[in-house]
Amino acid sequence: MAQRTLEVSHLNTSFFTERGEVKAVQDVSISVGKGQVVGIVGESGCGKSMIARSVMGLVKKPGKIVSGSITLEGKELTSLSEKELCKVRGRDVSMVFQEPMTSLNPTMRVGKQVQEVIAIHESLPKEEARRRTLEMLSAVGIPEVEARYSAYPHELSGGLRQRVMIAMAMVMRPRLLIADEPTTALDATVETQIIALLKQLAKDGTSVLIISHNLGVIAQLADYVYVMYAGRIVEKGSVFELFDNPSHPYTHGLLGAVSSLRSQTKVLQTIPGVVPNLAHLPAGCSFAPRCKECMAKCGSEQPKLITVNSEHEVCCHLIEGADEL
Amino acid sequence: MDPSGNFDVTSMAEGELGLSSPSVTYEEPASVWHRLARDHKISIVSIVVILLFVLGAIFAPLLTPYEYDAVSLSERLMPPSPAHLFGTDEVGRDVLTRMFYGSRMSLLIGIIPTMLSMAIGTFVGMIAGYFGGKVDTIIMRIADIVMSFPSMLLAMVVVYTLGGGTFNVFLTMALVGWAGVARVVRSETLKLKESEYVEAARIMGVRRFRIIVRHILPNCLPTIIVLFTLDIPAAILTESSLSFLGMGVQPPSASWGLMVNAGRAFLYHAPWLCFAPCLAIMVIVLAFNYLGDGLRDVLDPHLQSQ
Amino acid sequence: MKGSKASNLLRRLLYALIAIVGVATLVFVLLRMVPGNPVATLLGEHADKETVERISSSLGLDKPLPVQFADYLLGALRGDFGVSLTLGKPVAELIGPAFVNTLWLALAAALVSWVVGIACGLAAAIHKSTIIDRLFMGFSLLGVSLPVFMVAMLLQYVFARYLHWLPVAGVTDWTGYILPAIALGWGSAGSIARLVRSSVIEVLQQDYIDTARAKGRTSTQILVLHALRNAMLPVITLMAMQFSGLLSGAFITETIFSINGIGRLAVQAITGRDIPLLQATTLLCTFVIVMGNLVADLLYNVCDPRVRKEA
Repeated sequence: MAQRTLEVSHLNTSFFTERGEVKAVQDVSISVGKGQVVGIVGESGCGKSMIARSVMGLVKKPGKIVSGSITLEGKELTSLSEKELCKVRGRDVSMVFQEPMTSLNPTMRVGKQVQEVIAIHESLPKEEARRRTLEMLSAVGIPEVEARYSAYPHELSGGLRQRVMIAMAMVMRPRLLIADEPTTALDATVETQIIALLKQLAKDGTSVLIISHNLGVIAQLADYVYVMYAGRIVEKGSVFELFDNPSHPYTHGLLGAVSSLRSQTKVLQTIPGVVPNLAHLPAGCSFAPRCKECMAKCGSEQPKLITVNSEHEVCCHLIEGADEL
Repeated sequence: MDPSGNFDVTSMAEGELGLSSPSVTYEEPASVWHRLARDHKISIVSIVVILLFVLGAIFAPLLTPYEYDAVSLSERLMPPSPAHLFGTDEVGRDVLTRMFYGSRMSLLIGIIPTMLSMAIGTFVGMIAGYFGGKVDTIIMRIADIVMSFPSMLLAMVVVYTLGGGTFNVFLTMALVGWAGVARVVRSETLKLKESEYVEAARIMGVRRFRIIVRHILPNCLPTIIVLFTLDIPAAILTESSLSFLGMGVQPPSASWGLMVNAGRAFLYHAPWLCFAPCLAIMVIVLAFNYLGDGLRDVLDPHLQSQ
Repeated sequence: MKGSKASNLLRRLLYALIAIVGVATLVFVLLRMVPGNPVATLLGEHADKETVERISSSLGLDKPLPVQFADYLLGALRGDFGVSLTLGKPVAELIGPAFVNTLWLALAAALVSWVVGIACGLAAAIHKSTIIDRLFMGFSLLGVSLPVFMVAMLLQYVFARYLHWLPVAGVTDWTGYILPAIALGWGSAGSIARLVRSSVIEVLQQDYIDTARAKGRTSTQILVLHALRNAMLPVITLMAMQFSGLLSGAFITETIFSINGIGRLAVQAITGRDIPLLQATTLLCTFVIVMGNLVADLLYNVCDPRVRKEA
């Protein structure tokens, strides 16, 4: 089997607050192949961003990776020192954040902010670094790069800023690009452009881990999708398999809540209830309290991942029951 | 699947559970006092200290067997002893007794002019912020003038003109203090004026006066309370400085600044004359500052510490 | 864009001018509210009427008030503030050297407050919620809470009288400035430390700090290259405003350490009921404060690209 770009296995990340441990990520395993686009989808607060932060080694206190392993092209990241991690960040893995308005330093020219990444990881003559920065800026579709190079963030539109963020993330040609809700803060038209850009990057060989609560973005971009609920992966599968044949009631719910021009139903379905408090999770399946098809077993026993077919696994007692029949 | 459709999951997931912040459980709103007691224990200590000073000031005559102006030349410059815990001054007056009476002056000067300047500043600031235009320009230019006048110097000029004495010190401090308050309240009012609920009230035809009293004032209140708490120690310091230069409260009234001024000549023979009032000023000012800091953290949503 | 920038500067200058003229007027009116003839008060009850009138007219005090006001303003513009009643010299000659002394004192005090304030604030912010933070913040609150005279007298007592390390009062060489500078800069160091701390903590929570970490910057690099510049924006404004405060508020420090500066001159003018001297010192102090605020405004505009373009 070819080496995977990113391999996360049995990752547990928790916050240790005064009121006890909050398990933000529980026993999560994710794998991203070379040139593959992998999506993680789920409601706000389900732990998606914590996976991204864990991979980057950017979990903020009082959060901590409790156990599990994260390997980037076979190299274990969880055991690296902060100093060694600094060499990996920006060079081998990079990240695009959700909020382009606040993710750029307001008092630094954007060109400098992109060029800074080169300066951190390589000793290049300034002229050369500048040339590469300009190249990268035009590669992400920024017009008039010479002028934009010396612009301040507040002088750019949201879409342009997110392009700058992507240029910053891509300038070292990293193995893996993590995009955490890269289009959430943008207009719909700009969103389409940014998705096209990310698609292009993946086509050029970069592996992408995209995190979003927006199924549309995931459907357009990802090859493989993980569905997360309350810190756990509840279903995973290739994008066509998962969208055509959702097996977990939560995924059903997510898809049912989506409006489609082609859909026949007039009323959008909603998932009743809210994401449970991660500090006090129910004993069994976390989704049980909101599940329409909840059984007695669901309240007491945590379901395991079950293979539906070669491209599809799900974590639900319903499927198990189907197996037993 | 229709890729152009807008698939937004959070739009129906009402419960937002920010994981980026460590406090995941929903916090029930605690009262100001509870939060002070929980997060700023030192503020509670400060309140106790301030109350002790207030009680000392009110019951001064009951707490000490001496008169604050009882001269006793046979007992001049006595070091601290059981009879005179903080010693006696150059004319044999009991220092502790004068401290009690001095706290009356310091607290009065800390509180009364500050209340006055708060009232003026709040009123004027809300008017300037809410009505804007020429009224705003004129009020803020006047505030500029007052604020560009070094406050100590203005106080000194007023004392020069009207003579020293408690009332004139009150007057000066109120005259100086309102401008800073007006500035803060004005900017707060400007922010509130743009808020949706004030907009809504306006559209529903609520009268301006009512909007100011019912919507703007209550929302400025936390800021005003914090400013008030932090301006009191500033006023106490100004008074003590003025009195130290001999331009504030006039003898035979007792004031901590005045006591330091008088004791300065005997700094090397009778250091307790300066030491005691200095300590008192320090403690009360620290207490107010700590309380103000705590209140700011608890009351002001913009500055809330995590 | 450029036009609005220039007009903005002009507007600020105009506001500054209004403030100065306003204070000048206020002082003039306040000082004329004193009942009786100031010359008569000065010379005492036994002075004969003729002398009082002669001196009054030489000072222009017999003219109608509006004329006196015009004379005073025009004189101030030319740098002519009249003759001191108590010291007998032209006020301009007294104020010049005094201002130089005060300037040195203020510079030294500013140095103390900036170095101590920024260092303490930074240390506290970096070690937030630890014992270091509590210690430095307690210390800086003490800085804000201690009256200047107390710090001054304490320093004088310990380092000059007791240890004999430094001169008690008066300035013969630079060592004479050490104690006064600490006494004067102490309070301002406290407020700078508090602002630096809260500002650095706030900036460190911004999203772009995460971005910098994702780039591979180490914590120290992030602090120096990304956090500090943004965190210093409000601090610079405070420092500029405080510097004018140090220049115009050294009454007590100068009095205690016998430094012949503006503050001491103002105190002398008041105790001596010396109207020309008082008018001049007041005007000078106001000028310094207004300029300080103006510089603070402009500095902020220069340092923050967002304001630079929008304004």
